[in-house]
Amino acid sequence: MWRNYLLVGMRALAKSRAYAAINIVGLALGLAACVMILLYVRYETSYDDWMEGADNAFQVQTYYSATETGGEEMKLQMSGIVTGRALKKDYPAQVEEVVWVRGFGPIVIQDGQAGEIEDLRMVDGDLFRIFRVPFVRGSREAALPDTNSIALSESEAKRRFGNADPIGKTLTIVDNTGNIDYRVTGVFKDFPKNSHFTANAVARFDLGVQFADRLDATTDWDNQQGWNYVRLRSPADADLIHANMPAWEKRNIPDTNVGGQRSNPGEVQDYRLVNVRDVHLGEAQDASVTPGNDRFTVATFAVIALLVLGMACVNFTNLATARASQRAREVALRKVLGASRKQLITQFLGESLLVAALAMVVALAAVELLLPTFNAFLDADIALDYFGANGVLLPLVALVLLVGVLAGLYPAFYLARFEPAKILKANKSAADAQGSGRLRNVLVVGQFAVSIALIICTAIIYAQTVYARTVDAGYKRDGLLQVGNLGFRGVEPGMDQAVTEQIRRIPGVRSAARTQIAVNPGNNSMTSIYPPNSTQGQEIGNYSVEAGFFDTMGMRIVAGRDFSEAQGRDDRTVPFPSTEEEREAAVRAIVQRGLNVVLTREAARRLGYRDPAAAVGQNLRASIFSSEEYGLTPITVVGVVEDARFRSIRDPLQPIVYTMRRNGFGDIMVRFSGDPNAIRSQVEQVWKRNVAQVPFGAEFADDIVREQYDRDEARGQLFAAFAVLAVVIGCLGLFGLAAFTAERRTKEIGIRKVLGARTRDIVRLLVWQFSRPVLVANLIAWPLAWWLMRDWLNGFDNRIELTPTPFVVAGLLALVIAIVTVGGHAYRVAQTSPVRALRYE
Amino acid sequence: MLHMRQLSRVYRTDTVETTALDAIDLDIHDGEFVAIMGPSGCGKSTLLNLMGMLDSPSSGSYVFNGQEVAGLSEARLAQVRKANIGFIFQSFNLVDELTVRENVELALLYHDAAASERKRRTDEVMDRVGIAHRARHRPSQLSGGQQQRVAVARALVASPKLILADEPTGNLDTNHGEEVMRMLQSLNAQGSTIVMVTHSPAHADYAGRVVNMLDGRILQERRRAA
Repeated sequence: MWRNYLLVGMRALAKSRAYAAINIVGLALGLAACVMILLYVRYETSYDDWMEGADNAFQVQTYYSATETGGEEMKLQMSGIVTGRALKKDYPAQVEEVVWVRGFGPIVIQDGQAGEIEDLRMVDGDLFRIFRVPFVRGSREAALPDTNSIALSESEAKRRFGNADPIGKTLTIVDNTGNIDYRVTGVFKDFPKNSHFTANAVARFDLGVQFADRLDATTDWDNQQGWNYVRLRSPADADLIHANMPAWEKRNIPDTNVGGQRSNPGEVQDYRLVNVRDVHLGEAQDASVTPGNDRFTVATFAVIALLVLGMACVNFTNLATARASQRAREVALRKVLGASRKQLITQFLGESLLVAALAMVVALAAVELLLPTFNAFLDADIALDYFGANGVLLPLVALVLLVGVLAGLYPAFYLARFEPAKILKANKSAADAQGSGRLRNVLVVGQFAVSIALIICTAIIYAQTVYARTVDAGYKRDGLLQVGNLGFRGVEPGMDQAVTEQIRRIPGVRSAARTQIAVNPGNNSMTSIYPPNSTQGQEIGNYSVEAGFFDTMGMRIVAGRDFSEAQGRDDRTVPFPSTEEEREAAVRAIVQRGLNVVLTREAARRLGYRDPAAAVGQNLRASIFSSEEYGLTPITVVGVVEDARFRSIRDPLQPIVYTMRRNGFGDIMVRFSGDPNAIRSQVEQVWKRNVAQVPFGAEFADDIVREQYDRDEARGQLFAAFAVLAVVIGCLGLFGLAAFTAERRTKEIGIRKVLGARTRDIVRLLVWQFSRPVLVANLIAWPLAWWLMRDWLNGFDNRIELTPTPFVVAGLLALVIAIVTVGGHAYRVAQTSPVRALRYE
Repeated sequence: MLHMRQLSRVYRTDTVETTALDAIDLDIHDGEFVAIMGPSGCGKSTLLNLMGMLDSPSSGSYVFNGQEVAGLSEARLAQVRKANIGFIFQSFNLVDELTVRENVELALLYHDAAASERKRRTDEVMDRVGIAHRARHRPSQLSGGQQQRVAVARALVASPKLILADEPTGNLDTNHGEEVMRMLQSLNAQGSTIVMVTHSPAHADYAGRVVNMLDGRILQERRRAA
């Protein structure tokens, strides 16, 4: 019996090859997309699963809630040094180990050559007791025995020492207190790409020594410049610590005195211990070790994958029922010969399983071919293993069963329902039940609704990405080079100024200015500004720039004046290097004297000035320097500058108060005209001449901005890929349906032709029939896409308007595609001789 | 009205060549009622299809209304056809999805007639064949005789010069068959030229001339005594 089923199934496929091809290819496309995305989803949710002891490893995250006075909501992966230490002190029974990882990787000198190690992690303890990574040389237990030891990743070791054994070799790190030698103690396996933490080297440094000159950083709860990792004795201990968190914060976080107001940072702060496996998709993505992802995105892709697979299944169901008439006589005969309904259902389900299995083979071939490209695109190392712990064989078999049964169930029941007497007596093959045509139309509508919605989403994501890159940022993006690395130890005091002056002399350079804030800044510095007679401060971003910065950036002064070096009260420079006493004296002098500042338009608005001009000349107070020690600094607004968007347009526009100084900068902004690469290489020469021991790091503002939106663009491209896939699958289905409907309507077409219809009348008739469901699909797709995209766009502070254009264009596009798909077929059908058509009856 | 000279139609498949019509000479004049008879496969339907320009001859000449149509393009043939010829089929060939009225009107849709004109003529012809009271029914809700009357109405609605009927009574019982034949006879009396293929000698007797065919040739012609 089974042999007969298989034989009939194979022959049925072989008999109508076009049908078989549409079915198998359509289903294979759907399966391939589904398998790829499910692999991706599994990969995204598998972060840090590979690590031994991941259950007990936690990251301490800081959550700031928004305040009425302008304090921003922030969810940081970083936390203060003091946080980790306080946890260890208060929970000795739970916390086995705390290690602080510095956010800053200094310069490394090897054999007199200075350079950088990408992802050099400076740690204040044995990180490998928390991150139990496998070692290739040396041992994990002995890797970081004491300070001044360093472990390298396998690839970094190879890069630096080739095949030689690096153990015992020396690397020199240029730190706060000067050059310090580190001994290589071990080589660990590279962190897999599905890790939230990356490291090419882990060096254990002496926190007490390196932070001796800034002890406040080790006790300040508001100072985050690195990550705390904790090893708990039991994963459940995290719950206990969380339960006690409010009381613990109250006990540990001291009050601060700002402007005579006592407040407690703990009121707006909250701390959480997050298991390392949950960091990648976790809530906190600010100041992250590596860029994370969010659950919503991953879930969206999973849903889309299932939709695409659903569409492919719908095609199958659609075509199978449309084709049912051709199997009617077979069904009737089998019934006459004694087949039961159950047997027939089994037979047809078996056939659909056969098709699903064939499609899966094709799909896997496609996945194998596409996976390397997909990996390169996502910068991931997704693997397709059939066997073993992560083997996908069983899930794939389950998927084939699921798809085969889901897609085949309706056609099987439908076919098995035929009444043999009617079919055989009528001696005709057309046994089309009423209503099934409607169902098929509903399914086509569903398919095109998905396709159209995806096209709309693609268009909007693309438009927003382009908008993000090109929106007026408040400064001129082109012809702007950003030279970084001024903050490295190794740039001697005064050297940054010398470099800047030499850059200004390069032909083609129009101006250059040093700054604490640059395009896509990694730092965030805030201050509180108090209007006169107010104890309620506004939280405003606080950055220093060199005179001429606004001009270099192309930022317009909208009221008042720019900074001027001639104006003594504009200057907030504190000499460096200097003794503690000299520094204190300088600060007290500035606080005594007062300081001129420039506000951004947004800062002026936040401080309550209706227009920028009203702010100019106003006297306010600000906690420019530690107000605990020095009190508030009187400030006078001398100018208001246009807002500039340095950060991603996802982030709210930051209000900023600018002060002017002469040292302590991180970047040089260079405004130029002419060949960008020529300018860049001349700037590099200047850099190399003056600070050879610090790597040259410069990027064009255009490029930095583009990189800011790389992830959005990648998402847009993924959406585009899915949209294309959905459209292709939808068209395959439509094509198949058109073919079979045309066949079913052959008689009608013949009659119409006999009555004088021209070919184009027939084509119009058929094309219209298939255009209708596509038009109806718009009614479903539009609100769906609108709702989805409104949510997505709301994630941006600055965004495009949701206009009807992408909706209408997507609808038209789908319509055109549908018409082209069925048009060719309709034309062929319309050309057949009516005699043939009528003989068919 | 039409003159066929040495008209042949050969069907070819990969391996077999079948001569369906073999050098036919036939003239049909305005106002005639001609019945074509013969056993299955003798070429009756092929002859009718050629006559109705649904098919093109392999060789020979076919002059319709003074115009040689043997070599015309399909589009041109369609034009001549819809201006001059109405068809009635054995299996009625009504469109199941359309109502009786829409089926009849279908023949006018491709004639660029205004909607009001289409309605008038449809009503008139439905009345003439006695199916006006069924105008809103679907073909599947009618008896065979009624369906054939709808098909006749559709053939008549565009006022063709020539009506071709391919076994119009083949699917009908005796009573309904007689009814359709009387209707064709009265149409002929009103001036329509009719060519009908039939198996039934009794129904052939309604015609003024009977053409007998065998194996693609005309065997004999006889005229009914007036």
